[in-house]
Amino acid sequence: MNHAKAGPVTSTVKVLLTFMYGVPILWIVLTSLKSSRDVFSSRTSLLFRPEITAYVDALDGALADALVQSVLIATGTTALVLFIAIPAAYGLARTRGWITTLGLGLLIVLQMMPQTATVIPLFQIFGDWRLLDHTIGVIIADTALLTPFATLLLRPFFRAVPRELEEAGAIDGATILRTFWSVVLPVARNGAFTVGTLVFLLAWGEFLYAVNFFLSPGSYPLSALLAQQVSAFGIDWPGLMALAVLTSIPILLVFTATYRLLRDGLTVGAVK
Amino acid sequence: MTSQLAPTAAQSARAATGGRRRGRGVSQRRVRLLFLAPAALFLLLFSLFPLLQLLRMSVSAVTARTLNAEWLFTGLENFRRSFDGGEGTDALLRTGIFVLVVTTLGMLLGLAAAIALRTRGRWSAALLALMVFVWALPPVVNGSVWKFLLGDRGLFNMIVLELGLRDSPMPFLYSQYWALMSVAFVNSFAVIPFNALVFRAALMNIPPETFEAAALDGVNKWQEVRHVMLPSVRPTTLVLLVLTLVYGFRSFDFIYVMTYGGPGTATNTLPFLGYLQAFARYDFGLGAATSVVTVLGVLILAAVYARSIRREEAES
Repeated sequence: MNHAKAGPVTSTVKVLLTFMYGVPILWIVLTSLKSSRDVFSSRTSLLFRPEITAYVDALDGALADALVQSVLIATGTTALVLFIAIPAAYGLARTRGWITTLGLGLLIVLQMMPQTATVIPLFQIFGDWRLLDHTIGVIIADTALLTPFATLLLRPFFRAVPRELEEAGAIDGATILRTFWSVVLPVARNGAFTVGTLVFLLAWGEFLYAVNFFLSPGSYPLSALLAQQVSAFGIDWPGLMALAVLTSIPILLVFTATYRLLRDGLTVGAVK
Repeated sequence: MTSQLAPTAAQSARAATGGRRRGRGVSQRRVRLLFLAPAALFLLLFSLFPLLQLLRMSVSAVTARTLNAEWLFTGLENFRRSFDGGEGTDALLRTGIFVLVVTTLGMLLGLAAAIALRTRGRWSAALLALMVFVWALPPVVNGSVWKFLLGDRGLFNMIVLELGLRDSPMPFLYSQYWALMSVAFVNSFAVIPFNALVFRAALMNIPPETFEAAALDGVNKWQEVRHVMLPSVRPTTLVLLVLTLVYGFRSFDFIYVMTYGGPGTATNTLPFLGYLQAFARYDFGLGAATSVVTVLGVLILAAVYARSIRREEAES
């Protein structure tokens, strides 16, 4: 880090950014504490009696179900993605040749695929395979969506593992799989944590598959519930903001626990 | 949240990999390729096969009723219907404007944020954390908040009305003209933290001596940015540019949440139009055709991207 001092331009940019990113966060928390009446009376913006009615209303049975669904989908997707992306990333990090090149090219294309395009055939295929309206269907779709990204981000972490470590293991007669498990994976565990966190965050927020593959809102996760409510007519803003805050709390927890990892890990795999 | 990252290897790692290959190298390679099997199988079944189905669907007459029955082959009829009537062409133009706004704002403000947050201190650290947190929030949450902020009774209109700048609220989300701009702005808002983080990492890699030398030469702030920072982040810029283009191009979540394509067709970008044709009009063939064109756009961008990272890997 260098010792740049903040000049007037820098400070202006910082003030602007602080407002740009601080105000929305402040605003949802404030609104979620208001009653519907306060939101729509034109004046009172900061002066109001905090109420938790929106939260009490939001926290009914349907919400608890949605929370369970969100947890199931996000953890299920994270586990499944890591299970298939970790070996794939290692394989792609340690091999060369046309299969590797083809694999990398395919992963780049797949990670860029618009979700609005994949949701159409998946809806038809899942209908055929009786996966619609099942949580496992959404987990599978999310896994297919996030595996390319996870594999590409994990690969540099495995490339960073010195080959000498593995060769020492191989000479000892350990099989490749065992070497991978006991030597390589522990060294690359930061990468696995970073990628796992990102996959969890993305799966938690995913709503397009959930909205279309679940046939009734009764089985929606939080993100889908929020997406459905916000595009509905006559929005109950405090209720919606309460829902938004509740959807964000797990993100806040994950974020607090992994911020350093995210800040530094994101840029390891990303462009240098 | 941007979900794309470059597969560029951590270059430092390369130093460690020796070129040693012996007899057992061949069989080891074969075993290592086996590690790819689960991912290959899974993606074949749930990514590549669906794309094939999408392609088949785009050249067939498929409605909600015939979705899981026999499809009638209709050739390029769906493409003609989507793009001849102007619907697809309009959407393509809109997508262009949208991507342009998202990319310009995302890149410029991302770089500005990175330069501003390079400085030491609590404020910078806290602001960076705040931005990364907002970036990590689900798009539905950010979209909902901005829909509220930009609404008739939202913060912006409250300020506009209080100051007496207008006597009626600004129609940020339901005017033909403003809606696309509003959604594009919120999309850039969501991508700026990621771009800032990546730019910041590139700036941190500049050796302090470079800045010291520049200071000795008596350069001012602007020259420092222009002649020291910009050249050193150039390779990053190229790759990030393609990523931001792709991000803007495939974006649908803020549109879904904030305008659902409306008012009228004002925020129907190409990906979202395909979605609406399939899931709101139940014309799956038509939606598939529009989506195939979207996929082609992505393929072009993916090729550009692959080239630019390969060049970057070769340069370093």
